Amino acid sequence: MLRSRPITILSFIVLFVLAATMIVPLWSVAATAFSTKFGSLQPGVILWPNPWSLEGFDTLFRRLNFLLPFANTFYVTIVGTTLHVLLSALGGYVLAHEELPGRHIIAGIILLTLTIPSQVILVPLFVVFKQFQLLNTLLSLIVSELVSAFSILLMKTYFEQVPKTMIESARLDGAGHFKLLKDFYFPLALPGVVTVAAFQVVHKYNLFVEPLLFIRDPQKVTLQIALQSVILGESATSTNDFIAPNVTMAAIVVALVPLLIFYPFMQRYLIRGLTLGGVKE
Amino acid sequence: MLVQIQRHWFLYVLIVPIIAYFCAFLFYPMGQGIYLSFQKAGLLGPVGFIGLENYQKVFSTPMVWQAIWNTLILAAGITFFGVILPIIPAIALAEVFPDWLKRGLQTIIYTPYLFSWVIIIGIWSNTLSPIGLVNSLLVQTGLVDQPITFFASPFWARPMVIGLTVWKDIGFHALIYLAALLSLNPDVLEAADIDGASGWQKIKDIVLPHLTPMIKVVFLITLLGSLRTFDSGFLMLNGRTADQIRTLAIFTYERGILNFDLGVASAAGVVLLVVSLIIAGLARLILRDREA
Repeated sequence: MLRSRPITILSFIVLFVLAATMIVPLWSVAATAFSTKFGSLQPGVILWPNPWSLEGFDTLFRRLNFLLPFANTFYVTIVGTTLHVLLSALGGYVLAHEELPGRHIIAGIILLTLTIPSQVILVPLFVVFKQFQLLNTLLSLIVSELVSAFSILLMKTYFEQVPKTMIESARLDGAGHFKLLKDFYFPLALPGVVTVAAFQVVHKYNLFVEPLLFIRDPQKVTLQIALQSVILGESATSTNDFIAPNVTMAAIVVALVPLLIFYPFMQRYLIRGLTLGGVKE
Repeated sequence: MLVQIQRHWFLYVLIVPIIAYFCAFLFYPMGQGIYLSFQKAGLLGPVGFIGLENYQKVFSTPMVWQAIWNTLILAAGITFFGVILPIIPAIALAEVFPDWLKRGLQTIIYTPYLFSWVIIIGIWSNTLSPIGLVNSLLVQTGLVDQPITFFASPFWARPMVIGLTVWKDIGFHALIYLAALLSLNPDVLEAADIDGASGWQKIKDIVLPHLTPMIKVVFLITLLGSLRTFDSGFLMLNGRTADQIRTLAIFTYERGILNFDLGVASAAGVVLLVVSLIIAGLARLILRDREA
């Protein structure tokens, strides 16, 4: 683009160095995870399993019962994302009607929510969730961010691109709101729907503050919280036992796998969504 | 108008659950927060109006001033580096070829944006541990005598929060800039070529001015996000780092949830909201003025 050799060479260097700061730490995590407990405790850098072993994963699943937080997180992610997408689509659908009286008031209320970040109202959120008897339930994690202004506006932007004439003729044929949504808006604005879903999946999978706040019951623990206690070494399996680095790193590997499987398929949508979001702001 | 309302009555029915949700889970908690900040907290809930006493307590607690200061410093650092640094990989991404390599690098540098803070800390606590990769290199090359305890040192606490936040978001911000770069008219660059402009001149006089509107957008997003810093600071908080990285959001959590002092915590939450609204408002004003 700039036709300058030094800048091109520098560009390669900058990006390779930056990429290395992402790849090398992850590589080292994986290498440690596949080492034995003894090997992982040796001083020095582990860039290759030393020696190869699945001990860390064994400890993680057999003794720390790491399957439970996974099951809880998957449940919250799937149910939460589905409801989030449906409600956001509904909101976007309503706002996409330009001729609707009071549309600006509705849009104003929705935009106003952007000024209240959840980190600012942590304490009152706890109080309110307690009033609604949602504490210590997985439902609380589904309810928090059940729908968001960002998703509604994204849906609206995509829905507005659906050809009006097509909708009008479908309506004349007697199609109701739900049929219009199901048979026209959803399929024609599919990239938008997938974008919202992809972001929500990542968001729900990574939930940390909300479970920290709402959930005490060890049966309802979610992935990030379980991961945190393994990393900070809070959940020693017995009094004279402690968690070696290979177990900690195995936990990170296990938590990364679903994300890294999901990412390549959704990359297009995640990037499209963020540039769209950035431009819209 | 009435005809329109009648024609669309069902749309109002559809939007009601969404508005109701926002009222119950955002506006109502916000109101509760303000209400609680004027109440004396009892063990089972608020027990009576006490005026501004909670606010007096908030402002007479040295830890709160420390938390406000921490919040502002971290926000300033994250915003400054988080806005400026990603411009470099963005321009670099526009330069590299072939396409598959460009796409691969894009994918790699964007990935940390998707990681939770727990995972980020986990990954780096391994690489930056006293016996980890970075310290081994530093000690072997003789740059330091003793391994640096990155995660347990008052000196490194703030640079760590700022650095890891910038690292996590750099790909995200770079891709936003890259999208703007792709809309740059190639004819302009070609004309500069004919005039004999060097690569650096083109960056300074064509690329950066073209990016300015997007830089402002990223500035606002980053500033607002960084004022709410919670996860990163919370996960790096320990006895040695607490005074450096305990942000106002973390303070409200500690006071309200762990110590169950709802009144003071709510007042601190209101202070945080007001501070961030003022800063956001100021930032918008300054940016708008420059545009005019």
